[in-house]
Amino acid sequence: MKLTGRLERVLTVLVADPAAPHYGYDLMKATRLPSGTLYPMLARLQQEGLVDSEWEDARPDAAGRPPRKYYRLTAEGARVARLELAQVPAARGRTRHVAARPAHGTHGNAW
Amino acid sequence: MVSGTTRPLQRVAERLIHGACRRLPADVRSERCREWTAEVSAILNDESTRPSWLRGLRALAFCAGISRAVRQLRRSALAGSRRSTNSQWRSGAPRTRPSDMAVRICAGLVVWVVVVAGIITVLIAYPDPRGWPFLLVVALGIGFDAYCLADIARASEARYLSRRTWALLCLVQIPLGGILYLCIGRIGPARPLSPNQTRP
Repeated sequence: MKLTGRLERVLTVLVADPAAPHYGYDLMKATRLPSGTLYPMLARLQQEGLVDSEWEDARPDAAGRPPRKYYRLTAEGARVARLELAQVPAARGRTRHVAARPAHGTHGNAW
Repeated sequence: MVSGTTRPLQRVAERLIHGACRRLPADVRSERCREWTAEVSAILNDESTRPSWLRGLRALAFCAGISRAVRQLRRSALAGSRRSTNSQWRSGAPRTRPSDMAVRICAGLVVWVVVVAGIITVLIAYPDPRGWPFLLVVALGIGFDAYCLADIARASEARYLSRRTWALLCLVQIPLGGILYLCIGRIGPARPLSPNQTRP
C-alpha cells in the first residue's frame, strides 16, 4: 500500500477513533477531500479488507432520513493504518496545516 | 424555506446520481445509489453549512465527484472482472481501452472541427488581412491549449498540483499555464491499468 497524502488524511481521520463509524459526508468534511477521491479510496480500502462498511438501522427518530452507510476500520485496518502513519516522517507534519487545500503548494510557487 | 429550496435540489442531485450509477456494475449499483442519495440528503440538511445556498453548491459538487468516482470504481471493477472473468456488466457496456480511445479521438476531432469552423467563420467575417496574424496567434494558442489539456486528460497524475488545477491553470493562463505544465507538472501519459495496480 502506497501512502499518498490523501490516503494519509483518510487514515488519520479513521484511526483517530477506530471504533467510530463514519459516513461519507462526515469523512469528506473531516479530510477535506472531494467525493470523487474519497469513494474510490474507500472502495479500495474495503477491497483490501482494511475498512468495513455497514448500513445504519432505520431509526424511528430519523424523520424520514434515508439510512446511511457507515465506514469504519477493521482490526487489521487499524493495525496497518497505525503502522503506515507511524512511518510518516514527523517533519512532514501533515496533520493540520496541510489539510488545507493546496497540498503541494511549496513547490508550486513558480507561477 | 429551507425545504422549499432543498427539495428541488435534492431531486436534481438524485437524478444525477442515478445517471452516474447506471454505469456501475449491476451488483453494486443499487447499493451505491442508496448510499450516495443518503449522503446528498445529509449534505443538504447539514445545518452547520452556513449560508444555506452553500449546501446546494456542496451537493452539486458532490454529484460531480460521484461521476468521477464512478469512472474509477468502474475501471477497477473492470480490471477485477478481467481477472476473474465473471463480468456483471449490463449488455452493451463499452469495453475499456479501444472505445475509451475512440471517444477521446472523437472528442478531439470535434474540438478541432469547431476550432477550424470558428476560424473560417471569423476569416470570412473579417477579411481585413491585418487581422490574420492575430487570428493565427489565437489559433496557435487554442491548439497548444488543446494539446496540453489532452495530455492532462491522459495522465493519471501530475506533479505538484492536481490534474484539475493544472487544467484550470492551462485554461486561464493560456500560453503560460500550458508551458509550465509541460515543463514541471508533466509526469507522462497514464500507464495502462494492470489488474493489480492501484491508483494513488
